[in-house]
Amino acid sequence: MKQRHVESDARDTSGRGGAEGARRAVFAPVESRARVEAVVRRIGDAIELGLLADGEQLPGESELAGLLGVSTVTLREALMALRQRGLVTTRRGRGGGSFVSLPERPGQERLRARLRGWSSEELRDLGDHWAALSGTAAALAAERTGPDDLRPLLRSVEELATAPDAAARSRVYGRFHVELAAAAQSARLTREQVTLQTEVGALLCLVLATDEYREEVADRHRAVIRAVQDEAPDSARTLAERCVRESAARLIALRLTL
Amino acid sequence: MSTIPALVGTADTARAPAGGRHGADEEHVRRPGRGGLLEAEERVAAGVGRALEAVFAAVAETRAETAALLARVTDAGRGAVSADLAALRPGLHLRLEREELVSGVGFVAAPGLLTDVPAWLEWWQSTAEGDVRPLLLDLDPRQSAYTDYTHWDWFALPRDTGLRAVAGPYVDYLCSDEYSLTLSAPVELAGRFAGVAAADVYLRHFEDAALPLLRELPGPAHLVNARGRVAASADPAHLAGSLTKGHDFAAVLREARATDVAGSGVRLVPCRGLPLVLVWRAATA
Repeated sequence: MKQRHVESDARDTSGRGGAEGARRAVFAPVESRARVEAVVRRIGDAIELGLLADGEQLPGESELAGLLGVSTVTLREALMALRQRGLVTTRRGRGGGSFVSLPERPGQERLRARLRGWSSEELRDLGDHWAALSGTAAALAAERTGPDDLRPLLRSVEELATAPDAAARSRVYGRFHVELAAAAQSARLTREQVTLQTEVGALLCLVLATDEYREEVADRHRAVIRAVQDEAPDSARTLAERCVRESAARLIALRLTL
Repeated sequence: MSTIPALVGTADTARAPAGGRHGADEEHVRRPGRGGLLEAEERVAAGVGRALEAVFAAVAETRAETAALLARVTDAGRGAVSADLAALRPGLHLRLEREELVSGVGFVAAPGLLTDVPAWLEWWQSTAEGDVRPLLLDLDPRQSAYTDYTHWDWFALPRDTGLRAVAGPYVDYLCSDEYSLTLSAPVELAGRFAGVAAADVYLRHFEDAALPLLRELPGPAHLVNARGRVAASADPAHLAGSLTKGHDFAAVLREARATDVAGSGVRLVPCRGLPLVLVWRAATA
């Protein structure tokens, strides 16, 4: 399983470093450039989301490079970018190494900062992609689902209804949509949905804090399950699309106030 | 997770042949060639059975090694820890390399079995490049919504029945992201359920094995699980992952006897010892 609720967005590092850095980036081998970004994203998001604790020492360079499957050169570049973002500090000498350094901001504020990294147009597009995935998954699931296939979805709805905090709610929300894609018997839709949830999952924390909206989402999910159960593909598609469009709309509305 | 389970007769070995061919109630041969068709369908069902029995053999080996390992550790007077399971690795790697159909294999501990971690999968997969790699899951419930694996059919069925099981086809978004069958069997320690030994077969690989067999029949043929989910097909009207409706496949498996669907020319043939039914239609009678 991948880190499912780690966003894969590192756009706030782009455009920094001046013309020299930009030129170097342009002419870096494509593959290695992508790897640096992938490492920055992975570790940076893990830190921002609290998966790695403040002050925690990261494994040594060669070990970390081995774990991530990248060269030490790539890893060093990534660590440099993380230092520039203030997420990692490096101490030299005995007892030295790279340490996680959590930004001095509460989680909610960090998430808002993250949301500011998205334009409303990008959020709208994210919502469109999500609606396409979940809508199609719901329609296919309605055609391909036997009675026992719905158990995980029902369990997720009940878990959502009792999830205490926004982070737990967003995880279960995302899992419901992954399970829906699995109920469609499509490995591709499922993989896409997992990837999409790594982007949208943390952002959803921002809108799932109120019990009122948590209940609304749970109800919308129940309606999707009923349509799937009734083998009504068109209705399942529409209900799933409405559910995720509504969440995307809330994110966009919030983004426009920031 | 939409796993479609089905149970298989015994914990370790296939039952004696139970197909229709030798059954006392076997219909009479009604026209020339029918005997040949019955033989052909039996051959196909048996071939599918053989392919998956090889996978079950890998599961049984893992099961035996794990049970012996856990017993050894317990006899030494201590609780098992996750590091103990590293002793399974040579065997797991061997099975991954040896069994063409197997793409993932391992032992999944029952929560609470190990004294150092709440849950554990000693799970190894073969990569597209032909290497083996461990599956590293985030099993911290504070971070992941996917930490409880006890709901999946490949775990729950052997636990609840004490029998080996075939789960799927289903999208395995926990371990491989592949459309898969998972074959599993319970592991016990001192008579108590300790977890499952299991092996993954990606559906595309299963199709490679099943398709040549299905094509031997002179009419469109596909394989379904007990709930009618298509596991492999040589029939464009019934694609893998779809549901074949209108038949009680569970009953066919229970009775372990091939039957005719009245008036349709459709034959339902159980694959002996496995929860799969061969569905095919002889060219119009």
